Amino acid sequence: MRMAQNKVYRVKNAMKTKVIITVVLALVVILLGVGLGSVWVPPGEIWAVIRHRVAGATLPEYISQAAVSIVWTLRLPRTLLAFIVGAALSVSGAVMQSVLRNPLASSYTLGVSSGASLAAGIVILYGITIPLLGVMSLPLMGFVFGLGTIVLVIAFASRIDGRMENNTIILTGMVFSLFVNAVTTLMSAVRREHLQRLIFWQMGSFSMRDWSTILILAPIALVGIIYIIHFNRELDMMTFGEEQAKTMGVNLKRVKWILLVTAAALTGSSIAFVGVIGFVDLVAPHIVRRVFGVSHRYVIPLSAVFGGTFMVLCDLVARTVVSPSELPVGAVSALVGAPFFAYIYFGKRARV
Amino acid sequence: MLTIRDLSTGYGGVDVVKNISFHVGDNENLSIIGPNGCGKTTLLRAIANILPYRGEVEIDGKLLADMKHKDISRKIAMLSQMSGVYFQYSVYDTVMMGRYLHIKDKILGLPSQEDRDYVMSCLEAVDLMKVRNKAITELSGGQLQRVFLARTLAQSPDIILLDEPTNHLDLKYQIELVDYLKRWAVENKRTVIGVMHDINLAIKLSDHVLVMKNGEIRGIGKTNEVISDALLEAVYEIDVAGYMRKSLKRWETVRG
Repeated sequence: MRMAQNKVYRVKNAMKTKVIITVVLALVVILLGVGLGSVWVPPGEIWAVIRHRVAGATLPEYISQAAVSIVWTLRLPRTLLAFIVGAALSVSGAVMQSVLRNPLASSYTLGVSSGASLAAGIVILYGITIPLLGVMSLPLMGFVFGLGTIVLVIAFASRIDGRMENNTIILTGMVFSLFVNAVTTLMSAVRREHLQRLIFWQMGSFSMRDWSTILILAPIALVGIIYIIHFNRELDMMTFGEEQAKTMGVNLKRVKWILLVTAAALTGSSIAFVGVIGFVDLVAPHIVRRVFGVSHRYVIPLSAVFGGTFMVLCDLVARTVVSPSELPVGAVSALVGAPFFAYIYFGKRARV
Repeated sequence: MLTIRDLSTGYGGVDVVKNISFHVGDNENLSIIGPNGCGKTTLLRAIANILPYRGEVEIDGKLLADMKHKDISRKIAMLSQMSGVYFQYSVYDTVMMGRYLHIKDKILGLPSQEDRDYVMSCLEAVDLMKVRNKAITELSGGQLQRVFLARTLAQSPDIILLDEPTNHLDLKYQIELVDYLKRWAVENKRTVIGVMHDINLAIKLSDHVLVMKNGEIRGIGKTNEVISDALLEAVYEIDVAGYMRKSLKRWETVRG
């Protein structure tokens, strides 16, 4: 009995250590993200700038105004945005994988990015904007179209299959995605002169974003992630299959709707601002499950931390490797993510 | 107390279960037997509120159709035939999922001492205490079956529906499981309804039996009144009784 108890404590302690390491790693990467670039800003100076701007502390003399503006107006918002987007996308991916019991499922397979791309096409290619909203037209329409697509997909799937089987949802998502993508392609074929901008949007980028984006996105991401954490037990049970979850008392259809739409909203609101960024949502949850086990009370919050960290790193690579110009961050994350994912997924299969 | 009236259900518009009515009283167990594809599992799934059905299912005087899903799950738990296990939860965590509706902390879902004790007692009942911190993906088929049984017990329902519960179990655990379920039903004044492949175990589990073929009832009532050589032969299309007698004889010869 005592030995078993000791083992439980050991497992819990190991978990605590791993969580602490992950959080520390995240902080280090964020500091690197803010510090690295054309000019190196050490952590002490970053801290001084933040205190100066947030708490009104006097700035030490050795910090130049240039450093203040580099940290405060350029790198800090950009790094935080990358972190928030990475966190939101990863949590969204973890939910999709568990709810649909498919390791390859994501908001993208269900059509969120296709819908958002269509919106981007309308705004960028045809210059159609919503009156009074101006530059906010693209994010808002991207969000509405992205979420709208997945709502249509789920509604359609539940219409043709009352039990909302996972395969029906995934197939419906793929059909809708293909259709919506075709519409976007047709539109861009007609308006080639603006095609380049659309392609850049589709590749994703964190540049040219300021604090206002964070003020909008951070609350959405935070509320969405916390709301999903609240469903951690239902997520655990749903991995055993719908029938088993249902007999254990989960109100399956309702919970499934809520989780899919919340996850899609996380993805939709993120890509609405920064464009399509793939693979982090696929990769981060798989790695987190490998390291921390499969319980969603760990998987969800740690996917957020890990995914955020990964995204900051990708953005760091994207903007420093070929500086002063930039690589599209979506391409960087896929470049790093795809082989890594192949290793995790196919490596495991080869061993079994 | 469970009453089924004129229940029909099936898949894709084809009825697999046709107009079934029966009644199971308190402190009564029921075994459902019949050949493959006769609709036993489908019947259980309808009663467990997984499949939509026509007709009425009534529990303690209340129609299932008028109850909330959560209230149904408080009354009825089901042990399904095993499906694939993809995620490596620990045995303990898996059984704790059965406490879903009982855990009072609805925000974080943290179990109370009472929930933890209850899970431990379920693990003890199915002899899994030693492996409770193992991942379920590392277990044998028989151990896994017992994990799911423990999870069903952890739901603390009034009625347990079992779909071939002794699948994957070796002889020792088959017999122990049926003994345990009988004791559990008597001690807690509850009901076990089991779809059974093994007629011997069916007779052991319950005094009552429901014999099905082609989605219809071929016999229902007290086991000793319903089961006859002729009925078994008609339902299974082989001479079941003759086969069992021959087996016994063979067994005695082998033993010497």
